[in-house]
Order: sequence, then C-alpha cells, then structure tokens
Amino acid sequence: MKRCYISDEHLNGFVEALMGRGPVIAPVAKQSRFVFEKLETVDDLMLDYDTTILPPKVAFFPTKQELVTFDGKEAKSCINPTDQVLFGVHPYDIKGIAMSDKFYTDSHVDENYMANRRATTIVGSSVQKHYKHAFFGSVCMEVEVIGHDMFLTRVAGGYVADVLTDKGEALLGLGQFGDATDAQAGEADQVNQAAMENCPEKLENTSAQIRDKMRSSFRSDVWEELSEDCFSCGSCNTVCPTCYCFDVQDEWGLDGVSATRCRTWDSCLTAEFSEVSVQGGCENFREQRAERFRHRFMRKAAYLNEQLGGPACVGCGRCSGACTADIANPVVVINKIMEQ
Amino acid sequence: MSCSCGSNAENVFLPKEAEIISAKKMTDTETHFSLRMKDGSTFDFEPGQIVEAGVFGFGEIPLGLSSSPTQTDSFELVVREVGKVSKALTELGEGDTMMIRGPMGKGFPLAELRGKDVLIVAGGIGLCPTRSLIRYIMARRDEFKKFTLFYGTRSPKELLFEEDLVEWRASDGVACLETVDQADESWKGNVGVITTLFEKAEGLDADTHVIICGPPVMYKFVIQKLVSIGIPHSNVFVDLERRMKCGIGKCGHCQINDKYVCLDGPVFRFSDIEELEEAI
Amino acid sequence: MAKVKCAWFDFASCEGCQIELTNYGEPFVELLQHIEIVEFREVMTEKTEAPIDVAFIEGSFTRESDRAKLERIRDRAAVVVAYGSCATCGGINALKNHTDDYKQEVYGADADKPHLDSTKALPISAAIKVDYEVKGCPMDKDEFLGIVQQLVHGTAKVYVPSYPVCVECKRRGTVCRFDEGDYCLGPIAQAGCGAPCPADGIPCEACRGMVQDANQKSMEKVLMENGKLPERWAKQKTRMFTANFREDA
Repeated sequence: MKRCYISDEHLNGFVEALMGRGPVIAPVAKQSRFVFEKLETVDDLMLDYDTTILPPKVAFFPTKQELVTFDGKEAKSCINPTDQVLFGVHPYDIKGIAMSDKFYTDSHVDENYMANRRATTIVGSSVQKHYKHAFFGSVCMEVEVIGHDMFLTRVAGGYVADVLTDKGEALLGLGQFGDATDAQAGEADQVNQAAMENCPEKLENTSAQIRDKMRSSFRSDVWEELSEDCFSCGSCNTVCPTCYCFDVQDEWGLDGVSATRCRTWDSCLTAEFSEVSVQGGCENFREQRAERFRHRFMRKAAYLNEQLGGPACVGCGRCSGACTADIANPVVVINKIMEQ
Repeated sequence: MSCSCGSNAENVFLPKEAEIISAKKMTDTETHFSLRMKDGSTFDFEPGQIVEAGVFGFGEIPLGLSSSPTQTDSFELVVREVGKVSKALTELGEGDTMMIRGPMGKGFPLAELRGKDVLIVAGGIGLCPTRSLIRYIMARRDEFKKFTLFYGTRSPKELLFEEDLVEWRASDGVACLETVDQADESWKGNVGVITTLFEKAEGLDADTHVIICGPPVMYKFVIQKLVSIGIPHSNVFVDLERRMKCGIGKCGHCQINDKYVCLDGPVFRFSDIEELEEAI
Repeated sequence: MAKVKCAWFDFASCEGCQIELTNYGEPFVELLQHIEIVEFREVMTEKTEAPIDVAFIEGSFTRESDRAKLERIRDRAAVVVAYGSCATCGGINALKNHTDDYKQEVYGADADKPHLDSTKALPISAAIKVDYEVKGCPMDKDEFLGIVQQLVHGTAKVYVPSYPVCVECKRRGTVCRFDEGDYCLGPIAQAGCGAPCPADGIPCEACRGMVQDANQKSMEKVLMENGKLPERWAKQKTRMFTANFREDA
C-alpha cells in the first residue's frame, strides 16, 4: 500500500480537481446534522462530520431508483451509470458498502446497483468526531475495511492518503500529493486506532457469542418488552448502511400509456412489509411489532452474521439516533439480550 | 461524463414478453392463461418454480407455473383476482402481451420423488402450482410409484381445472380423491375438510413422499395426519406463498426468518422449516 | 377511450383542496384531456343530475341533513373519491368532537341559530361507501393525480403506503424535528405525502390521519420526553387532525 500526504492548503485543490472530472458526493452540513450530497462548492465539504443522516450508499443506490421504463410498446432498462467520486466515507460505512456489494452480488447480480457501484470511486476518511451513539470500535471487528480506493487520515497539517487500488492511484495526479513520512504514517495509524477506541458506546461480546445467543433468544419474552414503544416507523431500517430491502411500484406517465417501474428503500419494521395475499385473503407472517422488532435484530446479529462471518451492523449508531422512542439502539438491545 | 462499465449488462428487472395464446375464465375470480415467449425461446422450468408476471403501470406478482415442463410449446399460469396487479392481468386476453421474469426458485424435488409413492395434497388455488407436478408425473408415469391426489375446495363452484379432473378421475395413473367443505346439489363426492380424505385413501405408508400446497391453516392439520401414518417430516414438502418484489433474493419481502422463499423455496422440505415461526 | 365524467362536491371544509387542484397548472390541464368535468362549483356554474363516473367529495360529514345529499351522490356515481383531511378523517373540524360548548366559544351570541347545528365531524365514509381516499390537508396534488390516473386506467386498487411519515422523512434525508428540539407526530402519522412539512422545518401534524395500530401511548411519551411538551399538550396534540383516531374518539 502506497502512503502519501497532502497538506491542508492543497486539499481543496484536489477536491476541486475531482469535481472538475465529475460529480463528487461528500458530507455536507444540514442544520444540526450532515448528509452525503453532490458538492456544489468545495467550501461545503465537512470532513469533520460525525455521521450522516443516511448512509453513503445513496450515491449508487438512491432511495428511489428507476429500474425499467415502458413507452407503451417496449420495455427498456434504466441502467445508466455515471462516473463519480464518493468522498469522505468513514471506515464503518466502507464496511457497510462492502456488505451491500456482497448482498447485491450473491446468487444473482443486481446490475441496477452494481453498475452504479462500479462507476463510483470511493475515498474514505478518518473519523474526526464521534457520533453520540457510535460503537464501531466494538462490533463487526472480523470484517475488514475493504472496497474503497483511497483513504485520508487527518494528521497534523494535512492528511495521510493511503492508496489502495488502481482507481485510487489514478487520483494522485489530481492533487499535490507527496510521500508520507514514517512519522506521518505512524500518526495516521494512531489516529485511526484512537477513533476505534474512543467510541462513546460499546458492545460487550464477540460476534460469535452474540450470534449464538440471538438464535437461542428467539422465543424470549424480552422482545415484547423491548418493542413496547415501537412505532413500526422504519426509521432504524431506513438509516442503516447494511439494510438493503426494497419495494417495487409502477408509476404511470402523464400520457397515460408510458410507465416506470421504480424501487424504493423499504423497511421490515413496517407492518405492510410482510403482508401477503394468500388464497385471496391477507396474511401477515410478522403481524406483531415485537416480531418485526425481533426480525431486525435476528437479521443483523444472527442470520446475516452467519452469512458474512460478522454481524450486518457496522456500529455507526444511526439507528439509535433515528429512533424517536429510543428503543432501537443495538448496544442497549444486544447487551440486554446477552445478560439474559 | 458517462461510463462504459456495465451499462449493457443484464438488468434482472427487465421482463420478457410472452404472448397470450388463450385466456380462459375458470371461476368468478380465476383466469387460466396459456402463453409462449414472443422471442420464440422455449420456457425451461421445473415443476413448482415461479415467475414474476406483470403489466406495466400496475406491477408484478409471483405466480407458480401450472403446466408441466414436459409440455414445451407453451406454459400456463393461473391468476386469481385479488389486487391491483392481478386485476390488470385478469383483464388481458388472447393475443395480448404478459410481461414475464423467471423462472425462479426451487421447485419440487423430482430426483427424490422418482421411484417413490407420491401424495399431493392441494387446497383451493394450491392446485395451480401442484398441477405442474401432477401433469409431470402423469407424463412420466413409470418413473414414479403409487400416485395419490387429494384436492379440496370450499365449494364445487370453486373447483379448478375441471377438464384435468375428468381425466385424472378416469385414469389408472392417479388415485384422485376430492372433497368440498360445503356441497351443493350437483356434488356427489366427499364433503368435509381435506383431512377427511385420509380415511378414504389406500396404501399411504411411512415411505410416501408428500407435497402440500394450500391455505396456511391446512398445513398443520394435514401434517398431523401424516405423522399418524408415520411419514417423517423430511418426506414432506410444502409449497409456500409470499409477496416477492424481486424474485432474486434481494428485496427481502419473502423472508421467512433466514430463508428467502424466492431462492430457498417456494418448495421447502418441511423438516427444514418446521422450527421457523414465520413459515406457516 | 371515452372521457371519464367527473364531478366535484364539497361539504364542511375550507375548499382549500379544490383550490390546490386548480392551482396545479399544467398537469391538471393534461389530465383534462382524459376527463370531462361535469360539476365543479369552484371553477364553473353548471350542475348535473346525470350519472357520473367519478365523484370527488371534499369536506367532512357533520350534519345529519347532509346524509341524503351524500347518498344521492353515491347513487349516481360509479366511483366515489373522498379527498382532503376533512373528507377522509373528519379533518380539523373534528376538533369540536370532544367538546359541548364549541358553538358558544365560536359564535357567541349567535350560537343558537339553527343553521349552526351540527354533530360530530366524521369522514365521508361514515355516511356512504367511499371507494378511494386522497388524504392530507390540503390533499397532495401529485397523489390525487396518481389516483385519478389509476382510475382512468380502470384499476381495482391504488397503492397508498400504510406506514408512518418517518419513513418518508428518512428517505429524503430530512433532519428529524426531534433532533432540532421540536416535536412531531410523524411516528404515528399516515405517510403518502412525501413528508414535505418536516423538510421545511415544520412538525408533522398527522393531517392524513394515524396509521393503523398507531402507538399512541408511546407518542405521548415521546412528545413529553423528546418534544418537551407539557403533559396536557402531549395528550391533546392528536385532537388537531386525528381526533377520530384517538382511543377516546
């Protein structure tokens, strides 16, 4: 791995050069929070963000995406990727993207996702401020941070830039990069290590311990108790970097003939998610809010844990903050289950 | 700046056009479609597999194929009018185009059923996907041993595939037992829930392999009967229905705990899912 | 295809939804190619007694004397669409439902005039069968158009989400009102509007009604703990648009 350095005074020039090539999606401020959005000016870039409302996958998996259009006669594919840079992604979100990549390529390749994903160059960045609910230092430790092309770590006077792929290497020519000194490289390692250690929240058990305990807690009464205040509002799912479920709906064009088939991020916490027309009636196989609440934790901590070798949770803490009833926090829920 | 990578790659959501060869109203709510692919390709599938059938502007729904793959010039689907998409499909007629994706999922375990006694228990619209297997077995009758069919509906009016039933009733190839929950004047056969047919059936034993497809409430009672005969849960296969938006294991709607009906099913070995609370 | 004959009717309401529709501009003009308006008090003087394909009804059912009028509309309309909060939930009119002295409060000395007599404000569906509902105060014109397009296409059912507004807020990356120290009814409010209010920094008041199985107890708790509303307010908050959904309705 090549380790370079770019000083603070040259960072904006680098970002502007990226913006000159195509869209750069990066963290920008939105009232008291941050969001990943297309940079309009480099001054909007907020590399010292804590976390964003929605995870960075929005760059290649928009919350609403056209899949197929129909002009009244013929159906056409809507796959139409644009080269872009996703800039300033925290390590936990890089893990989330790697998981989404896996979900969207396992057994069947979802090109509507993957074409956009492949057209995206990812520049990661170190965590400079922790979100109040972050616990990425104690979850999903078995899963490597991979899939990004370059990684910037905040050090004195600038950033150490780790070059990880050819796509990352290709970016070096756009900025005033020099080689990182051993001291700068050492500082970067320390900064990233400290970010892991300084998370405000912490899981107490390993992924394997959690997985086994989750499975055996399936029929526990604790789910009822934990979900008593749940609104089934899907906020925890919708802000999650590893959730990938979606709904598909058709929309008519104004001409009354054409139509577009779109997918929208969906949430298994909502009651309608698991409704089924069976034999002409309507069945819901997860009718109770406790069942849906449990399903989310089972998916993350047991089912997908078994598939990925680590839980489908990267410790960003977004769900904890998004839950108005304050019941979705995985640290609280999982630590409680583990104590049972 | 547009990018060359992957833009021509396969879009799994892009359906193919199928021409409707015939559309027959079977009951007040069910329509039976016979189709062939417009591009002239043969539609290869296994009995028990599903397709996403759709009409643009309305959407897609998963349907079990109801013809046997031994019939290669066309394939068949049955649509029950329930919601928006099924109504739009029902309104299609001969010569119209139906949009099809698939086939998807795992069908009935043909390799395992070969050389065995087979019992199919179909309730209501559950006859549609199982008809795919019934016709397969009838077409390759010598590959299977004793073959029994239980078919139950709420009333005689709701009987599906009457032409097939006439043929099956008359055939030596299948012991065809029928029942209705409520009879009318025309009905001369058995009256009662589907489990009452177990008293009339002959030769069912612990080695019989069983396929069940019907309303959720039916599974439990049928399986209880099977246990009393000594048929282990590993010899029982259930065909489950779920809402599916993608059919390729992504959208999440068909999840039963950690299983995806569209990938791991819709046909499951009962012993693989009996512990799953969300299954039946 | 013959043009679909449409008529508009209004009951207890501010008629704001009709205004919203006429303000729609181009898409409404486009829609006019597929429909024929046979009665619409806000835009034309003609009236009809002939059968209609689609009747759009605004306003709540709040006078027993309106029942016959509604039944007459139902009898000659193939499809009835109730639109706007008043017609679908009882709307803001239902604020009076739990009180006895509202006439005195509002009209003072005139309170006893007979034309002011009314009963509880209820949705149109309390009087006649309603086929489709377009919720919201005002109703969302895009949703309205979407439903009319589906009707023009003869569809049996129109998909309207049954989940709360939070889903739509999150999808558009809106900063949660509670994160801004505000209150919000989003967690129990019926979505489908696309959550425009919180995106503009205004709390959701659940103008589309509550979701099924709304966790009202949890909402009161969250309004007090996170929204910092006093207990009395927290308990009364859902009387504004969703009085008919309350457990004490």
